[in-house]
Amino acid sequence: MNNVISIRGLEKSYGSVRALDGLDLSVTQGEVHGFLGPNGAGKTTTLRVLLGLLRADGGTVEMLGGNPWTDAVDLHRRLAYVAGDVELWPKLTGGEAIDIMARLRGSEDRARRDDLCKRFDLDPTKKGRTYSKGNRQKVALVAALAADVDLLLLDEPTAGLDPLMESVFQEYIREAKEKGRTVLLSSHILAQVEVLADRISIIRQGRNVETGTLSEMRHLTRTTFMVEMARPGDSLSGLPGIHDLRPMDGQVRFEVDGEHIDAAVKHLAELGVRSLVAQPPTLEQLLLRHYGDEPMVVEEGI
Amino acid sequence: MTAAQDRSSRFTGTWKLVRFILRRDRIKFPAWVLGISFMAVYFTTALPVLFGGEEGLAETAGGFLSQGVVAIFGGPGYGFEDLTFPRLFVGVYGLYIIIMAALMSILMISRHTRVEEQSGRSELVRSNAVGRMASLSAAVVVAVMANVLLSILIGTVLVGQKYDPAASVLFGAGVGAVGLVFVGVAAITVQLTEFSRTASGLAGVVLGAMYGIRVAGDSIQEHGSPLSWFSPLAWSQQTRPFVDGRWWPLLLSLALAGVMVGIGYALASSRDFGAGLFGVRPGPARAAPWLGSPLAVAYRLQRGSILGWGAFLVVWGYANGAIVESVVDGLEGVSEEVLAIFGGDVAILSDGYLASMGLYNAALVAIFVVLGVHSIRSEENGGRTEPVLATATSRWAWLGSHMVVLAVGSTLLLAVSGLAMGLGAAVGMQESALVWDVAASHLAFIPALLVFLAIAGLLYGFVPRAVGLAWVPVAYAFLMGFFGPLWDLPQWVLNLSVFEHIPAIPAEDFLLAPVVILAAIAVAVGVAGLAAFRNRDLIAT
Repeated sequence: MNNVISIRGLEKSYGSVRALDGLDLSVTQGEVHGFLGPNGAGKTTTLRVLLGLLRADGGTVEMLGGNPWTDAVDLHRRLAYVAGDVELWPKLTGGEAIDIMARLRGSEDRARRDDLCKRFDLDPTKKGRTYSKGNRQKVALVAALAADVDLLLLDEPTAGLDPLMESVFQEYIREAKEKGRTVLLSSHILAQVEVLADRISIIRQGRNVETGTLSEMRHLTRTTFMVEMARPGDSLSGLPGIHDLRPMDGQVRFEVDGEHIDAAVKHLAELGVRSLVAQPPTLEQLLLRHYGDEPMVVEEGI
Repeated sequence: MTAAQDRSSRFTGTWKLVRFILRRDRIKFPAWVLGISFMAVYFTTALPVLFGGEEGLAETAGGFLSQGVVAIFGGPGYGFEDLTFPRLFVGVYGLYIIIMAALMSILMISRHTRVEEQSGRSELVRSNAVGRMASLSAAVVVAVMANVLLSILIGTVLVGQKYDPAASVLFGAGVGAVGLVFVGVAAITVQLTEFSRTASGLAGVVLGAMYGIRVAGDSIQEHGSPLSWFSPLAWSQQTRPFVDGRWWPLLLSLALAGVMVGIGYALASSRDFGAGLFGVRPGPARAAPWLGSPLAVAYRLQRGSILGWGAFLVVWGYANGAIVESVVDGLEGVSEEVLAIFGGDVAILSDGYLASMGLYNAALVAIFVVLGVHSIRSEENGGRTEPVLATATSRWAWLGSHMVVLAVGSTLLLAVSGLAMGLGAAVGMQESALVWDVAASHLAFIPALLVFLAIAGLLYGFVPRAVGLAWVPVAYAFLMGFFGPLWDLPQWVLNLSVFEHIPAIPAEDFLLAPVVILAAIAVAVGVAGLAAFRNRDLIAT
C-alpha cells in the first residue's frame, strides 16, 4: 500500500529544547491513523513540519508524494488541517472564516458546508471573538470537513467538543474513510483514538515508542476491573494475565492483560457478579507502565 | 440577607483590589502620571527657547497665533492680546496635557473593568469574597488617585517654572478635572459593550466629539461661545489660569463626573456578569464573493485601519490647509529658528509651510505603515496565520498581499490627506492651483513610505520580535525633517533620514532620481523580507 505520509528520523529543536528526536511515522493511504502522545510529546510540531510551517532540522519527510517544505502550496490543495488551538479573526464571522479557508484552498462546496454547520449546530453569523472554545473548534472542523481533499490533518480536533458533537465528528471521520481519504488524528486520549483509528502511533519525548494496529497493541492495553462478587475472588489470582489483585471497599480490583480478558470474564461469571466496572487504560498509565523508568515530560503546547 | 447587607457587601474587597491594581500597574501607573507631567516640563522649558525669550514671543507668536489657529489647536485663547509664556503654554499646549489625562482615565478604567471581565480573569476574582461592585469601585478609586496625583504634579511643575502659584494649581486642577470626567465616561462605556476595545473606542469617540465641539465653539467667537460650554474640555480652559483665574467651572466637571460614575454603577448593577447592554450584532453567514484571495483577505483585515486613518487625515488635512493663510500672516517677522523649520525664507513661507505639513502628514502615514506591519505580526502570534498557510496560500502570497495592501493604503492615505489639505489651503488662500501642489507634495513621499514599509517587512521576515525597531527610521526621519535644520547638523547625519531625499514640493522642484532610487531600495529590501519570511519557521504558539 502507498504511504501518504512517511517520516524517518525527523529532528526539530527550539533553541535547546529538543522537540523531535528521530521520529518515524508512516501513514498509509485510506487509513485513519491515531497519533498519540502526552502533552509536549511533539505531536503539534510534527504536524507543523508536515504543513511546511516549520523546517525540519534533520531526517526525511514525505507527504502525498511531495516535500512539505518546498511543495507546500501544491500539497495544501489536497489536505485540510484543524489546529489544536483554533484562533479566528475577531471581527469576521465564523461563516466568513469558513468560506475564506475554502476559497484559499481552491474549492468551495456550499451545500456540504451548510449541512456541516447544521450537524455541528454552529451559528455562522457570530463574530470570531464571540465564539467559545468549543465553537471555534467547530468552525475549524466545518472548514476542514467541507473540503474535498485526500488528507485530513487533525490536531486534537475534539478537545472542546461535547460528547454529542464528538459523535457527529466520528460519523464524518468514518465517512471520510469510506471515501478513501487518509486521516492523521492526533490526541492525548487513547480512548478517543481507539474508536476511529485503524493504526496507532504512540510518541513520547519526540520519538515513537509504538506503532501498530489496535489488536497488535493488545499486549499494551491492560484493563482495570472493579468487581463486587457473591463469593470471594481469591481464585482470580491463579489466572494468567491478572495483575495487582487487591480487595477494595468490599470489592475486588485487578488489572487484566488485553489478550486474557475473555478468560477472566468467564471466571468472574462463576463467582456471581453483583456489579462490574471495567476501565480501559489511559495513555498515561500505559506509557508509565511500559516506559516508566524515565520521568514523563509534560509541558504545554510545543 | 437584608437589603442593607446586600448593599454593603457589593463593595466587599474593594480596598484589596485597589492594592492589587496598584501592584499590577506599578509600572503603568507612574508611567502615565510622570509621563504627562513630563510633557508639562518639556513644553514649559522648550517654549522660551523656541520663541527666543519674552521679546521673541511678543514679535512672533502674537501674529502666528491668530484666533483661528488657536481655536483649532489650543482653546479659547484668553490673554493672547498680551501674551506671556504661561498663557501660551495653557492656551495652546495645555490642551494636549488635558487630552492625555482623559486618555489615561479611559484606559485605566477599561483595563481594570472590561478587559478583566472579557478575559475571564475577573471571574476568578469574583469567585472569591469580592462584591459585585468591587472591581468597578477599585478601578474608579485608582483612576481618581491618578488624576489627583497628576493635578498636584502638574501644578508643582508649573510652580517650579516660576509660574504664578495660584494659577499653576488651578491649571493642574483643570487637567485632573477633565481626567475625572473621562473616568465617568469610561465607567459608562465599559458597561455598554462586552468588548473592552469597543468600550475604550466609544470613550475615545466621546473625547473626539468633545474636542470637535470645543473647536467649533471657540472658532465662532473669541474666548469661546456658548457652544464651547457643551464640551467638558472647555470647562477646564474656561478657568482662565494666568489671566483672571476662576474655579467655579471645575464644579461642573466634578458634578458631571459624579453623575456619570453614578450612571455607570446603575448600569453595572442592572447587567449580568460578562454581558453588555447592547447585544452583539450577528454578521454575514457567508463571506462576500470577492473575499477569496490572499490579497482580498489582507485588504479585509486592514480595511478598518485604512478607513479610520483616512477619516482622520481628511479632517486633519483640511483643518491644517484652512489655516495656512493666518499661519503665513503670523510668520512674517518670525525668528530665524522657526523660519528654518518652514523652509528658511519669508518669501516662500506658505510653500514652506505646506511642504513641512507634507512631511508631517507623511510621518503620520508612516505610523499607519509600521502599525500595519505590527498587525501582521499579531496575526501570526495570535495563531491566525497558521491555518491560512495550511491552505494553498504561499508565504510569498500571504506576506506579499499584506505588504501590497499597506503600500497601496499608504499611497491612498497620502493622496487623501494631501487633497484635503490642498482643498483647505485653496479655499483659504483663494487659489485653486494649491490643491494639486499640495497633493503632489504629499505624493512625493510615497517612496519614503515604501522604504519604511520594506524595512518593517524585512525585520518581520527575519526576526519578528524585532519589528519594533521599524519605528527607529520613522522617528529619525521625522526628527531630522522637522528639527534637523534648527540643530545645524552635518549633512551626512541628515542624509541618513529617508525624508531628506524627498523634494519639498512646492518649495522645491520635483526630482525623479531620488524617487527612483528610494523605490528601488524599497523593492529590494521588501523582497529580501519576503524571502526571509519564506525561509523561517512560523512562530509556534
